[in-house]
Amino acid sequence: MSEVKWQASGLKVHEASDVTESHLELQADVVVVGSGAGGAVAAYELARKGKKVIVLEAGPYVPSQDFTEKFTNSLETLYQDHGGQTNSSGDLLVLQGACVGGSTVVNGCVCFRTPDFILEDWQRDFGLDELTRDELAPYFDEVEKNLSVHDNGPHEIARHGWLIRAGANKLGWSVKPLKRNIRECGLTGHCLSGCKTERKQSMLVTYLPWAVAHGAKIYADTRVERILAEGGEATGVEAVITRHDGSQAATLRVTAPRVVLAAGAVQSPILLLKSGLANRSDMVGRNFACHPSLLVAARYPEPVHPWRGALLGVYVDEFEHPDKGGFVLEDGGFGLVEMSMLAEPGSGAPFMDYMANAKYLAGLVTLIHDHNVGRIEWDGEKKKIDYQLSDMDFPSMQRAIKAAARLHLASGATEVYVPASDKRVIRNEGDIDREVGGLENLPQHLRMVSYHPQGTCRMGADPEQSVVKANGETHDVRGLYVADASLLPTSIIVNPQITVYALATRIARHMA
Amino acid sequence: MNSHLQSRRISAVWQQGMARRRFLKLGLFGVAGVAAVAAGGFALLRRSPLDDQPVPPWATGLSAAEFHLFERARQALLPVTGTALVHSDKVPVVQNVQQTLSYLDPVTRKELGTGLGLFDNAAVFSHGCRFVDLDDAQACEFFDRWGEGSVIQRTLATVIKQLVYSAYWQEEATWAPVEFDGPVSDRWGLPYLGNAPMPESPNMASTLSEGDNA
Repeated sequence: MSEVKWQASGLKVHEASDVTESHLELQADVVVVGSGAGGAVAAYELARKGKKVIVLEAGPYVPSQDFTEKFTNSLETLYQDHGGQTNSSGDLLVLQGACVGGSTVVNGCVCFRTPDFILEDWQRDFGLDELTRDELAPYFDEVEKNLSVHDNGPHEIARHGWLIRAGANKLGWSVKPLKRNIRECGLTGHCLSGCKTERKQSMLVTYLPWAVAHGAKIYADTRVERILAEGGEATGVEAVITRHDGSQAATLRVTAPRVVLAAGAVQSPILLLKSGLANRSDMVGRNFACHPSLLVAARYPEPVHPWRGALLGVYVDEFEHPDKGGFVLEDGGFGLVEMSMLAEPGSGAPFMDYMANAKYLAGLVTLIHDHNVGRIEWDGEKKKIDYQLSDMDFPSMQRAIKAAARLHLASGATEVYVPASDKRVIRNEGDIDREVGGLENLPQHLRMVSYHPQGTCRMGADPEQSVVKANGETHDVRGLYVADASLLPTSIIVNPQITVYALATRIARHMA
Repeated sequence: MNSHLQSRRISAVWQQGMARRRFLKLGLFGVAGVAAVAAGGFALLRRSPLDDQPVPPWATGLSAAEFHLFERARQALLPVTGTALVHSDKVPVVQNVQQTLSYLDPVTRKELGTGLGLFDNAAVFSHGCRFVDLDDAQACEFFDRWGEGSVIQRTLATVIKQLVYSAYWQEEATWAPVEFDGPVSDRWGLPYLGNAPMPESPNMASTLSEGDNA
């Protein structure tokens, strides 16, 4: 085995600006498409086993030192479609990282293991008998150790978290500190703009440099256009390397007997659809779920400064099980731009009064266990995220908003802003049913955001009903694997990064 | 015309031409046709005195009508009288809107442009003039009514407001009055931690060494 060369900082990445030829031909044992949670972990696990690994990332390489801690700028430089990726009707913002490290660079660091009842659903409904709690536990243990996952300490719970915790205690609801993958949190509150001083244990400072230390090569600015296969076996990929001004720098072909697809739950199915592969079941792109979330803001009598301290501190799991509601509430910080988009206190003076009192606001993030009703499509020119909150899930969303309102009021809030397109303000318990019950499940009525797209290449034992096996290999194409949140057969209610890390580790170990 | 009636009328007109969820997915022609029908009862594209006003040289990514629409929205949506907030004419709100719109793909950008035209002209239903000619109070009322209206009304009201809001609040000059801290890591002197140490691995038969930075 060759010498391991670990870098103390930075990452060796081939960028479009490095390219001097119009076409590149490369060979590898494994080509990994995407450098986020699934791709980075797979690349490291395979490289450390001596495989020649090439990672292709469509987004740019942005070193941590270049992060600006300005949210609008970060949306433009680090996120898919410059932060403008939405569903077809435009009422659901689907935020995904689009840079080396993927969404792990811009997430809120929250870590949950896959809930046991979700694994039981997968075993019962999808024949995934081997994905038991005991089977996955060692993988969870390992990735949590590698990524410094720990319960938030008291200093990592910001003012808004303490308020919410007190309110939950008053209501008798179960409330716990969140676990996060972070070292010596700087308490800047800028997680969604990337962690400038490299405390968040994203792939940018963990698995990617570890993979490179074992010889993996990373190509940024490189969008895979087609997966290649012959005789039912993967043979490589074709890609285009694009400069930051949008011009084409080169084409690229990687010949490899194994392809790991880890471009995320929107891009991975599009690539399979473009390639015409692994879709005997007609399930590629279907079953999209995304934990549509709302940020329910409320005004408090004392200053909260919701942008100060760790972004996410505590969560309420009282209603996590589907039998109890199927949602969780996480206390969430935010900055001014996010704040301006989440409430509708009325146009003009009411809005500016709301913003002038920004330091008195605190937020609660709602996450629901949505059904897999959406679909990712490719029309030959553009992708389409066809997803509307289903009538099955709308009552869960209403329950989550009601619970958030009750929790805010119990925590001392004087006004709770329902994140709808029309003005809905709750000032006491008596207002809750009217303001939330009056919501309609129509496009553009709620201001939803998804940070967790999933389900579009789902795992399952039945090749007629699923795209990949439990070991991540597609049913139809030998050597073609999927290792991102596309795998998840159902939404998992909680933040999925740890689930993806664990599954990618398991898949890569099976491959090696 | 009251908001409910206005909403029903616009919805009805809209649905003559398209299914509601196809908005922003149709070509310019289809949306333009509906906009024309929507405005047609009052004279297509009623003139505004602003139509003769020049636009600044930097506004190359906006039509003249779009520029005037976002200028009117800026003035109406961001009042600061009686507050310590920074006046919106001190920050490049419409320039920032233009920057955001530059990231849209060409097809969506065209469709949105047509939607903005609908928003501007539909005020003729309720006020007898285009949106750009409403006073501040009327413009805010128009936004609020559309926020309670049909899908297309909610969509356009939300899009315009969020473009204007984010364009204003992203500017550093607006932060101090509300005590927003903005970027802090450099100011606080937080040290960079670099890459995480390699995981311990029982199978790793090699030594760790520190290489050059990329």
